[in-house]
Amino acid sequence: MTPPGADARTARRSAVPLRVALRRAAPVGIALALVLLVMASLTAGSAPVSWREAAVALAGPWAGAFGAPAGDMAQAIVRDLRLPRVVLALLVGATLALVGGLLQSTTRNDLADPFLFGLSSGASTGAVAVITLTGEWLGAWTLPAATFAGAAVAAGAVLLLVRRAGGQGPAQTVLAGLAVSFLFGALTHGLVFAGDQRAAHAVVFWSLGGLGLARWDNLWLACLGLAVPMVFVWRRHRALDALLAGDDTAHSLGIAPERLRTQAFVVAAVATACCVALAGVIGFVGLMVPHLARRLSGPLHAAFLPLAGVLGAGLLLASDLVARTLLGSQELPVGIVTAGIGALFVMALLRRRVSD
Amino acid sequence: MRRALRRWAAGRSLALAVAGVLCGAGPALAQGAGAVPGFPVTVPNCGDTLRIAAPPKRMVVHDLNMVEMAMALGLQSSMVGVTGITGWYKTDAAFLRSLGAIPELAPKYPTLETLLAAKPDLFFAGWYYGMQPGGEVTPATLAPHGIQTLILTESCAHTLGDKPRATMDLLYGDLLRLGTVFGRRAEAERLIAQWRERVRAAIRSPLPQPPRVFVYDSGEDKPFTAGRAAMPTALIEAAGGRNVLGDVPMSWGTSAWETVAASNPQVIVLLDYQNGQGPEHLQRLLQAHPAMRLTDAVRQRRFVTLRYAELTPGPANIDAIEKLARALRQAP
Repeated sequence: MTPPGADARTARRSAVPLRVALRRAAPVGIALALVLLVMASLTAGSAPVSWREAAVALAGPWAGAFGAPAGDMAQAIVRDLRLPRVVLALLVGATLALVGGLLQSTTRNDLADPFLFGLSSGASTGAVAVITLTGEWLGAWTLPAATFAGAAVAAGAVLLLVRRAGGQGPAQTVLAGLAVSFLFGALTHGLVFAGDQRAAHAVVFWSLGGLGLARWDNLWLACLGLAVPMVFVWRRHRALDALLAGDDTAHSLGIAPERLRTQAFVVAAVATACCVALAGVIGFVGLMVPHLARRLSGPLHAAFLPLAGVLGAGLLLASDLVARTLLGSQELPVGIVTAGIGALFVMALLRRRVSD
Repeated sequence: MRRALRRWAAGRSLALAVAGVLCGAGPALAQGAGAVPGFPVTVPNCGDTLRIAAPPKRMVVHDLNMVEMAMALGLQSSMVGVTGITGWYKTDAAFLRSLGAIPELAPKYPTLETLLAAKPDLFFAGWYYGMQPGGEVTPATLAPHGIQTLILTESCAHTLGDKPRATMDLLYGDLLRLGTVFGRRAEAERLIAQWRERVRAAIRSPLPQPPRVFVYDSGEDKPFTAGRAAMPTALIEAAGGRNVLGDVPMSWGTSAWETVAASNPQVIVLLDYQNGQGPEHLQRLLQAHPAMRLTDAVRQRRFVTLRYAELTPGPANIDAIEKLARALRQAP
């Protein structure tokens, strides 16, 4: 791709050939990294589990091939705690990144991410309301149901606000999201203040995220969360591409931009609610990963959004590995790790833009 | 004649003034010498020392455990209020009876205004027991208003760098400090001797080896529990057991389920806040947890339910040790 007679200008922009090389090596590199991350996540953690025990736990009925059986506890830890946790990290990371990319494209706002639109604070309010006010009226499903309801109410409020405001311009959408976010944040803090001492601990989970609720019997919710935006992107990726050229061009191609935006927003709300119900609020994945993916894949959605999903999955899995192993027997909320990485990433991005 | 009168009046007022000073100083002198000997006193206070010039007359106490500590020494007549009780816990009739006419100034955390309005001379509280570092109510914000603060020793772990292992001295030491401050050291010592005797009686039959105990306060994604510096570690050890997280350098804090499950606790303490969902909810969570349900404690349903006041430094600690000691000695 580099022209034979490269002049001084192209020589200075050495990032171009590097980017191309990265793009070619990316699929293999990413796949390898994901496999390594999964293996590390299954063996590393606060409780000591050896590679052999992990292999035995995963082998199930074929465990005999590995010699002596592993202890029940090591098996339960690998099979029923770490493995669903790995799956949840992959699903939630992919969903958040995918939804972030979708929202950034449709609102044409670089800052758009699932949590800018008040979805997270709505979900937290639902969770805290259940913890402080009602108790378990739906058994084990109370908390997911409440977070889902909270996120849905918040998403509905944002949609209504944007509709009422007459247009769905990027600025209005962000403003509506922020207003709803602050309102629900205030409600949550009110509930914590009124509730008992445990409410304060619960709020840390819902506002900083964590993957500790992962169980085999609740992973279907995360699968649903990923399936909804995946189907949407698969069906509408050409329409989304057309939107990149501007609303007028999209119109001339037979696409109604406003309708597409509303659809994308509903899809994002459903997907985010599924994620938050299981993993709390995990910030920055939806904001940062799409930027990275776009650099590697270019702007076309059929390539860009799936890549964002894969990178998001890897990032959240890596962050959870850090969160689980950094403090030994204590667990860091994963939102702290993603926010830390995300903030550094944005700083680097800004520095690069300034130097460009 | 008029001058003579004036001189007489002046002499008389001087005499009155002198008499007044003497009368005023009289009780103070008497107090220093006779009624309450040994004042002023100093007691250790979270790495600092607290100097008390005379027994406080208007104490405000925060939280259930510290109120029970004060009442165990019979300090009600020196208390003008309590805070942080009804907002969080149910109170029984016996507690309210011993509290008598002492008002609750705030059901949860007191504000600086609330405290100033009560004009206390001493505030007995702790970090995260009514006070928060950098918050509105701290020893530093109370001092300018002439209010001294006696800090719960267990809570010092929150503000100090090192997190010393919790022992029963967290209770005995604090009761002695309280007794010293109010000039009732002898009563405090008597009470502690009784408590020590009860603990000795509770652990009379020795255990072959300390059973592993886990304290479950709350939390679903990860457990909120007691580490090395928190009172439950001391209670469990006094009862003859071992806190499975007793080596984690923290006070109350979060751990990870796999750590707890891998330590395979034999007995689990469930915290009963007497409010909200209660210990039954905690027990259901443990029985449904894929790794915790495999532990000896859950399999054999060896749960001990303890109240908040029993797990935070206070007289109820002794009841907690007795219950724990019994539970640890029951055949699995």
